[in-house]
Amino acid sequence: MSVRALWIISHEKGEHLSLRFARRFATVEHRAKILAGSSYTAVPEDNTVLQLLITELGLSDPDKPFVALRDDCLYRQRSPALELRVDSPGKGMLWPVLAISHGPITLACLPLVDAPAEPRPALASLLSVSQGLTLLAGLQTFLLGSGSKPDIEVLASRLAMLPSVLLQVCPLGTPLDVPLPGAPSTPTVPTPAENQKQPAWKTGLHRGRAAVNVAIIETVRSMQYGKRSRQDLWDVYGTVTCKCEVEGVLPNVMVTLTLPPNGSPLQDILVHPCVTSLDSSILTASSVDNFDGSAFSGPYKFPFSPPLEPFRLCSYTSQVPVPPILGSYQLKEEETQLRVSVTLKLHESVKNSFEYCEAHLPFFNRDQFGVVDVKVSSGQLDVSKEKNLLIWGLGQKFPKSREVTMEGKISFSGPTPGPIDPLCTELTAYIKLYFKVPDMTLSGCSVDQHSVQVYSSSKQRIITSRELQSKEYFIWNSTGSAPVSSGQMML
Amino acid sequence: MSEIWTQRILSFSRSPSRFLSGTTAEGFLAELLRELRDDRATYSLKVLLLSPLCESPSLLCLSDLLGEETALELMSVFNQCPPKSVQFRCHLLLALTSVLVCTSCVNNRSRASQDFLDLLLQISQDSNDLHGDVALRATACDCLREMEACSPGLLSQRLELLGGLRQRETSRLHQAYAGLHTLVLRNAVYQLTQETGAGAEHLKALLGGNTSVAWEAELDLLNSKDDSAVLSSLIRGPMGSVPTLQTGPDCKELRAVLSSLLEESYLLTPLSQAALLHRLTEVVAMVPGVSPAVFRAQLLRLLGTSEVCLFHSTLLMKSAFTDSLFSVEDEAFLLQRLVVLSQHPLLSPPEKLFYIDCILSFPENRPIGCGDDALPVLLTPRLASVLVPTVFNDSATLLARLHLLCLVYLEEEDEGEEEGRGLGYLYDHLTSLLRIVDNGGSREIVVTFFRAAFLFLSYFFPVERFSHSLMEELCSLYLRHTHLAPHFINLADHIQEQLSESNWATEFLKALQGAITDAELTSKDLSWHLKMLTRVAEEGEIKQQSTVNFLSHIITSSSLCVKGDWRLGNFLLGVCRRLLVHPGLDALLIPLADVLQHLACRYGDTDIRDHARLYYTLLTTLSKDKLAGVLSQGYGEGGGQAKKRTFSCIVAESEGLTSLLTVHRAKTIILKLVEEPQTETGSGLNQNEDNPEEVSVALGQYRAQFDVPGFASEIPLNYQLTHSEIADSCFDQLFSIRLHFSLTDDHYEPLGDVSVPCVFRERPPPSVKLRLKPRRPQPTSLHASAIFTTQDGLSWLTDLPDVHVAFQQTFLPLPAPETWGRGGRLSLFDGLWDEMSREEPTGGATSLFCCQLQEEALKTLVEKHFLPYLVSDQSDKEEIKVLFFLPPQSHLLMRIRSEETVHFNVATDNWQLLPHINSYLLTLTGRHTHLTAY
Repeated sequence: MSVRALWIISHEKGEHLSLRFARRFATVEHRAKILAGSSYTAVPEDNTVLQLLITELGLSDPDKPFVALRDDCLYRQRSPALELRVDSPGKGMLWPVLAISHGPITLACLPLVDAPAEPRPALASLLSVSQGLTLLAGLQTFLLGSGSKPDIEVLASRLAMLPSVLLQVCPLGTPLDVPLPGAPSTPTVPTPAENQKQPAWKTGLHRGRAAVNVAIIETVRSMQYGKRSRQDLWDVYGTVTCKCEVEGVLPNVMVTLTLPPNGSPLQDILVHPCVTSLDSSILTASSVDNFDGSAFSGPYKFPFSPPLEPFRLCSYTSQVPVPPILGSYQLKEEETQLRVSVTLKLHESVKNSFEYCEAHLPFFNRDQFGVVDVKVSSGQLDVSKEKNLLIWGLGQKFPKSREVTMEGKISFSGPTPGPIDPLCTELTAYIKLYFKVPDMTLSGCSVDQHSVQVYSSSKQRIITSRELQSKEYFIWNSTGSAPVSSGQMML
Repeated sequence: MSEIWTQRILSFSRSPSRFLSGTTAEGFLAELLRELRDDRATYSLKVLLLSPLCESPSLLCLSDLLGEETALELMSVFNQCPPKSVQFRCHLLLALTSVLVCTSCVNNRSRASQDFLDLLLQISQDSNDLHGDVALRATACDCLREMEACSPGLLSQRLELLGGLRQRETSRLHQAYAGLHTLVLRNAVYQLTQETGAGAEHLKALLGGNTSVAWEAELDLLNSKDDSAVLSSLIRGPMGSVPTLQTGPDCKELRAVLSSLLEESYLLTPLSQAALLHRLTEVVAMVPGVSPAVFRAQLLRLLGTSEVCLFHSTLLMKSAFTDSLFSVEDEAFLLQRLVVLSQHPLLSPPEKLFYIDCILSFPENRPIGCGDDALPVLLTPRLASVLVPTVFNDSATLLARLHLLCLVYLEEEDEGEEEGRGLGYLYDHLTSLLRIVDNGGSREIVVTFFRAAFLFLSYFFPVERFSHSLMEELCSLYLRHTHLAPHFINLADHIQEQLSESNWATEFLKALQGAITDAELTSKDLSWHLKMLTRVAEEGEIKQQSTVNFLSHIITSSSLCVKGDWRLGNFLLGVCRRLLVHPGLDALLIPLADVLQHLACRYGDTDIRDHARLYYTLLTTLSKDKLAGVLSQGYGEGGGQAKKRTFSCIVAESEGLTSLLTVHRAKTIILKLVEEPQTETGSGLNQNEDNPEEVSVALGQYRAQFDVPGFASEIPLNYQLTHSEIADSCFDQLFSIRLHFSLTDDHYEPLGDVSVPCVFRERPPPSVKLRLKPRRPQPTSLHASAIFTTQDGLSWLTDLPDVHVAFQQTFLPLPAPETWGRGGRLSLFDGLWDEMSREEPTGGATSLFCCQLQEEALKTLVEKHFLPYLVSDQSDKEEIKVLFFLPPQSHLLMRIRSEETVHFNVATDNWQLLPHINSYLLTLTGRHTHLTAY
């Protein structure tokens, strides 16, 4: 349940490789030696590890088309655990090396195998593996934040903090906690003697007025093909995030999620470890199970004792009967030009009030646009600077009819070829929708302000909110072939 | 100063071996400890200084004794450190733990480790919490936990104390105590299971801290032979067996401890909670008297968790207790959860991959098969269908899903169900990947596709309609993208190797041959085609007529011969050479001879023509068996070293030729340099003494010599070049050896190459003289490599073991003017000594080294090691004066007096030499000495 070593490296597509941080845990290594006996492989020096790691990740020698060591079709790895072959002097395997990458930063660690080395134990029998993954993910969030773009300066300052952070979360190779995102946690002065023990995941105590903020964000994904032969797909998943400022060492809070009558049950519910107890009926509904109409459909009660920082109380998936926006996309090749025809329909159950709604129509493997002669029934059409993407801004509202169309012709006669995509050749093309609707959820799931219970003496302020957003919302051209995105519909 | 240290520590951690080659481990350790004691150094620097001790203690403390001494030293630093520098004190505790554990002081229960244990226990019980002692206490607990983890049973006797500390603590620290308590409990119970006759009473006594019970004496650290067993996790799936402790149903005390720990487990961080649950799972598994139902209250909370390690610990619990804790419904639920988690949009890819792996080794209540990749019975194709791979997956996910689904559908096929649509789907998926590759997918996609193809074929090669159509698809893909040839060859090689029962690879290569020979030819594809045909020609079962026709066609109908490209010519000859050893050669004789003759006459490159002519001659004059015999020598793959420079070697076409032209890298160490035995050199003092009268004149005369550039600036080192121990007969005679040296630091000027005519194993080794020119007198290592030729004419490159230049090897005798006799040297010695012992900051320093030595021993020592450097007369017993000159301009002077102990008074004009002379003297005189610096 420990890790032998930890590395943080940065690289740009396999080049400019540099080791940003490394830590070896000597006592864990000592145990590894005893445990593995004659099949023990020492961790080589950092440079060697780096090269082996980058080869296993397929990033070495980016300018060579085929390197046997890197591109061998005999794929030995059972991800996420890599196997590094150490050459002389201490020939052997380093296994299981865990690695997670985010942009240019890769974090890796080598968990201790606390089982006889031969035959190789199953990955799933080593608790140190899931602990290593948790540690790496925690360090990654600490270093890069949860945002998409890592900030170089923040990264440098966080790396400098790592030694003192590790002193707290993993002093001798056994991970005890993950660092809090943001500033490193400083041990606070404990509260004067109380009988109640303070949770180890709570860094201090809140003083002042109680406030609870509960936000539901639902995300909808969709693949629409517009074909008889192929069923359209969409799914919805939601997260409930909380920020609670409540006094007391271990205060009790209860959040209740409710569905409208006839709402389909929430499935695949996952909860934060601060949730104190769960009713078994909450967990029964699953998206991979046969749909059972009689399943429990709420109210979903989550009693918990909140940590100080914002956290994701729970997540769920839901099967909604219709996609919020149904689209059809047709392209026709006409000698020198392409005829485009698009229809988007907003479903009547969806609130017609967007924060934003945009449709993107990229065109790959063609020259840049020549003449774009396209009319839209509503909204505004823009051509991207690079002349290979149409952006159709639909604004905050669909028209009364809840239907918008686009018709027209595009010729491709620009001076330079546009972007290449091996997937979207010929008539394989898509529209991608980006939208956000405040104050609604597709599943109908909601938290009533009055249903949030805080067992505390002082008065409290409770804020709840919800919103729907899109992600990977594709509408494929129905006249071309489209890639299969899920096997379920085929079987 | 601090910047220098930062750099040094950095370069140590980058490459300890390289760093230590420039200094001694002992010396570096001594420097570290000295700096740690230095009041001027900041605490943040001192934290940094501790990192080598934390991370690589065994590299610095080479013996247990040294570990013990270092630990005592660190503990005294700890005791003198003001309480407010908490971070430094915490790091000190970590360093101490690392040093003591890694030098096996803890295992041997050395004095220092006992003291340290007491210190840790004292810190962990001190709840005054002044000066932020919370952090210190937390660290102390973790150190205790690690020591217990490395030496199981160390704290067994303190179980009650630790339990009490845990229960009383209300701050966040209770987590540290809980972790420690559970580990000690687990190890103590394990110990009991190993005692014959231990039972409920013993367990009760252990938990109650009742040490008066008789068995106490028996309880000791577990035998070292059991070490790996006690360190291993006890939960090992259906095959593992757990040692048990028979207690009967009465283990109230243990049950009370367990439920108290479990009740509070909610208060721990997920990582600590998972570890605690796992340890307790082990405890309950070892004590059948306690029902696994103690965990029931926690289960629902754990089953719904979003934390990977908590869910994992639940799976491990299931693996340990199977149906005594988990019902059939629970099992179905857990598997369903795993499938959901394996593709959950909110989880990270590595987590999802881990869950897929968990499905493959799902702990079933009643496993049917065992071994790798036995799918759980409950995983139906329907359930697994959510995990089918799609082109939107990343490579690792795609392959992991494909692997899982292959297993699922393989079972389906086995059960003889109507040929599932599932398999069809997988095939469609493979072809859509192929389309992407075809449309110019990135390198990653290409690699992924070939891996997927291999995976698919390795499971479904018997399903002909798929394996056949895949073959066709691959062939046409190859024709469109010939540059992928290495991938195709790699695929064919592996299929042939892994699936010996299938002839898919041969069929595939045959199809490729057909595709190539029928295709329209473009010049850019030709070299790839020829490579591919060379591979095809390796297959004895494939008829080669069409290949020969193809060759004949391209050399006659294109401008290939006129252009005379050497590389292409070699590719052509490569195919021909393979054909010459093909079993179906008889049928090819005439057309192949035509091709060779055409090449020999028409090809635009002389070299190619020559080779072609030779092949032609061989083909037309030798019998088939002889031909095969002659040519097969050229394919002595692997070793390749047994070749003689014979006919066959000239014959070898591209491969053989390139092997002659390229420098091969030797896989083993072939040569090494060993120090030449010292030959006695008489001190040869000038008899016509012309000694300067005064000390100052002597100094002046002596120093004037250094105005001549290059005076006494080189150290001659004599080595012998010999074979290494690894005997390989083809390296017995080596010629034209050129030795190349590279420096590992900047203490020396770069060295030129050295040539040696030959080295024969049976002859005396040649000597090699290295002239090192130091910039600073420091020990060093040189990387050495050699290029040489073997008897068969091949050139080789080999690394030699590093040449270590020890400190004493940098000594030269005093370069006094030649006319001087002993008198001049003595006055120079005195003059230098006076200068060095002056108070002025000249960089000089003096020190004293004492040791116990018998007179006789001292005499031998002086004769053996100091003779060339002796300044005083050998008969002078009173005081022995020794002067080491270290180029470029440093001196080490010693006055050796024998009193009760032997005093080595040392003076030098370069204080940095002191640690080195200390280690040197230590090695000469043995360990029981110390150096006192003034």
